[in-house]
Amino acid sequence: MLEGLLVDLVPRGDTFEQMEHKWENSEAHFWASAGDRVFLSHATIERWHTEERERSAHRHPKGVRWGIQTKDGTPIGDIGIGWVLPHLRLAMLGAMIGEPDYWGGGYGTDALLLIVDYAFDWLDMRRLWLGTMSINTRVVRQMEKVGFKPEVRSRDAWLVSGHGFADEIVYGLLREEWPGRDAVIARLGLVARSE
Amino acid sequence: MLEGTIVDLVPFEDDYATYLKQWMNEESWFRARPFDRREPHTEHDVKKFIEDMEKSDHGQLIGFQAKNGDPIGGLLYDHEWTRVRKAAAIFFVGDMRYEGSDEVLDGLLMLLRYSFETRGMHRMDASVLAFDETRLDAYRRAGFVHEGTLRQHVRWDAAYVDLHMLGLLESEWPGYAQIAPTLGLQASDLEPKPKPEPEKKDEKKDK
Repeated sequence: MLEGLLVDLVPRGDTFEQMEHKWENSEAHFWASAGDRVFLSHATIERWHTEERERSAHRHPKGVRWGIQTKDGTPIGDIGIGWVLPHLRLAMLGAMIGEPDYWGGGYGTDALLLIVDYAFDWLDMRRLWLGTMSINTRVVRQMEKVGFKPEVRSRDAWLVSGHGFADEIVYGLLREEWPGRDAVIARLGLVARSE
Repeated sequence: MLEGTIVDLVPFEDDYATYLKQWMNEESWFRARPFDRREPHTEHDVKKFIEDMEKSDHGQLIGFQAKNGDPIGGLLYDHEWTRVRKAAAIFFVGDMRYEGSDEVLDGLLMLLRYSFETRGMHRMDASVLAFDETRLDAYRRAGFVHEGTLRQHVRWDAAYVDLHMLGLLESEWPGYAQIAPTLGLQASDLEPKPKPEPEKKDEKKDK
């Protein structure tokens, strides 16, 4: 477990897999998938899990996916590294807060600080990157607040349901630019709170 | 075959499959695929790559050759995402005599013609190692726009180097018939390479 101030990152067990049907069919999927909308049955999601486990058993290196839960143990989403290239010490991050009640309250930021520290300090990555839709103002704000640099604006890179084409903003963070989780927490004034 | 001004696009087979055993271990290949680990590619790797591309639902491996039939290299129409109507446009020069030539540019233009005019793409992606001015020049002449740079993204010969990210939208693509005549494409008129030795079939030793 990786312990944060507002959330902990934990292994994704059955509790998280059961939440996925709700999250993947909700607004959370739209934001996490860059503007897609889907209709997913329980059977499809179960098949995903089976296929993911099979792929994971044969893949080296494996991606890493953590569940995000609040301090009282409520599962609210997941975060991880989907694509790792050890020879480049490069990892792409991805996350979804499935529960809208936890959007904008610092929960996603707390999870992001944990995964950044984990990627640099445990996996020995040198550079982290991720892309988001330009219209995803919450993530845009979060990335820049945490210290990621906007590096690329790919025009019309995504077709966003209900919006048409939108740009993708790609962010990068080098290890030498990362002052450590404690320093960023202090700078942001992030504090633990009772639920 | 898809005929261009000074090159033609053909299925990646026969002599191309033979040449690829060499090409896939050369500099141009690794420059075209900067995320790949620098490692030797065996005959098995080459065969598997061609098979994987043939089976792929998201890409095409295409050969391009001079008008005299001399194979030059390969074009990768890759990572097609049909919902978003985008894909990646990648080229590699196998015969290095053609490096920086108009044949390579025409190959890229023909790949874009296929992407926009046959596959109906809305956007094409490309990436170029920051030091690789020759590749960057080909993409720029074809109309790609530099959209940003991923800092120290790739490990290359004892250093971390930047990766330029490029994009071209269908609204910016004038059409092959319109753009090709404006670029003054000139054939290099090189002598064709000697044909590779024919593949030796495994002889069955069943008695």
